[in-house]
Amino acid sequence: MSAARIVFDLAMVMAILFSGLMVINRNPVKSVLALVVAFFGLAIGYVLLFSPFIAVIQVIVYAGAILVLFLFVLMLLNIGSQPHERSGRPIQTLLGGASVVVFAALLLGTLRGSGSRIPSLSPENPAALSDAGILARTLFSGYLLHFEAVSVLLLAALVGAFVLARRVRRA
Amino acid sequence: MTALDWTIVALRVAVPALTLPVLVIPLTWLERRGAAFIQDRVGPNRVGPFGLLQAVADMIKMFTKEAVTPAHADRTLYYLAPCIAVFSALSTFAVVPIGPTLRIGAREIPLIGADINIGILYVFAMTSLSVYGLVLAGWGSNNKFSLMGGIRSSAQMISYELAMTTAAAGVILAASSFRLNDIIAMQQGTWLGFIPRWNVFIQPLGFLIFFVSAFAETNRLPFDLPEAEPELVAGYHTEYSAMRFGAFQMAEYVNVVVACAITATLYFGGWSLPGFHPEGLLGVLLSVLVFTVKTAIFICVFIWVRWTLPRFRYDQLMTLGWKALLPLALVNLFWVAALEMLRLRS
Repeated sequence: MSAARIVFDLAMVMAILFSGLMVINRNPVKSVLALVVAFFGLAIGYVLLFSPFIAVIQVIVYAGAILVLFLFVLMLLNIGSQPHERSGRPIQTLLGGASVVVFAALLLGTLRGSGSRIPSLSPENPAALSDAGILARTLFSGYLLHFEAVSVLLLAALVGAFVLARRVRRA
Repeated sequence: MTALDWTIVALRVAVPALTLPVLVIPLTWLERRGAAFIQDRVGPNRVGPFGLLQAVADMIKMFTKEAVTPAHADRTLYYLAPCIAVFSALSTFAVVPIGPTLRIGAREIPLIGADINIGILYVFAMTSLSVYGLVLAGWGSNNKFSLMGGIRSSAQMISYELAMTTAAAGVILAASSFRLNDIIAMQQGTWLGFIPRWNVFIQPLGFLIFFVSAFAETNRLPFDLPEAEPELVAGYHTEYSAMRFGAFQMAEYVNVVVACAITATLYFGGWSLPGFHPEGLLGVLLSVLVFTVKTAIFICVFIWVRWTLPRFRYDQLMTLGWKALLPLALVNLFWVAALEMLRLRS
């Protein structure tokens, strides 16, 4: 096992561990922080998969902007630790647990079936993965329609949030 | 790789990481003497020649004072916050080229920590993490003034990051590269024989926006709202004492140095000068000196502005960021794009 592989595995374990912490933690501020660490772990993974551009964008957009806004809202509302309550919905809990098991089984099956198709740490064409120019050309030619559709979706979400916020104020 | 190669790699990492904290010592002296000069006072002049050792004395004091932890602080976050502030400040400098490639025999030593092809984006990623230091200090201290400072910093830094990155996008577009060495390479030579081909002459608006945003990103006056001592005691670091407070101070100065170094690199040709072709060891040392002088000039501007302009009100700060700087940064981007279109046509 090379040093890069060990770092990669450690980063992934860190990402999974802190994602779990994010869910378990009762203090929302600490949950956000756990998510930041998880994203950082993912970014290390991207770097080792020869995609530093994706890694940096991941840090700038998620850790640097979106989660800071989360923190801003949490601090503005001054939410402290939330008590651990038992949910009063046994059927939903059961269904949720069952879907986790099914999803895990599907994921394991796919991973085992794909075998060598998981991108290894020695890519065939590292330049194509790390170059922002090639990424942009693919995004704005082959996937232009998808790209524009996503931006319209985000706009719709923005307008939707605005409408919801206004309605509360009028009531 | 031989032992020598490893030594060179270690030096390339260690030199920027160790120089920056040491630089803080003369910088605090420069700031205090500069402030005294602007305010028509003498300033610290007792410890050592010209008071030069005052900063060293201050540092010894910082290290030996008692570090008080508030009883109701969230200990994990309270201890973590200064670490994050210093980490993000120091790690940013890793991709800044401080000189050209040094050739000794067959060996080439690039004078840069890591010459990665997304250099400028890495800078933005690391500076965007620095806000966590401030926010966590504010939250972890469990103090209303700290909390206010933390809330302010989170909104302020995101707002000005937008204007800053949009302004820098103009430079990236003109260089068609994220690599800082490529950005320096495209600024070589002159126009009409005497105007250096620096980005500042094509994108003066972009430079202005970038530099103004840098003040907000480093929390320096007139944009030091997270600290704002007349209203918030000391803002996010109210509850910090001894070297934990010193860590925040150090992070601030390191951030200033990095912001000035990036400004010099993006808009003033970095270590290069028109008509100057670094040859051999002496040439390389001279270009490092050129880079240092350019950075030092901007640091002096930072100090000059701090003791000249009063602090903005928070709504003024937000209005400036969103309604003035961001639209102007977009205008700058369109201007650069139009120039690039013309260049590609001809």
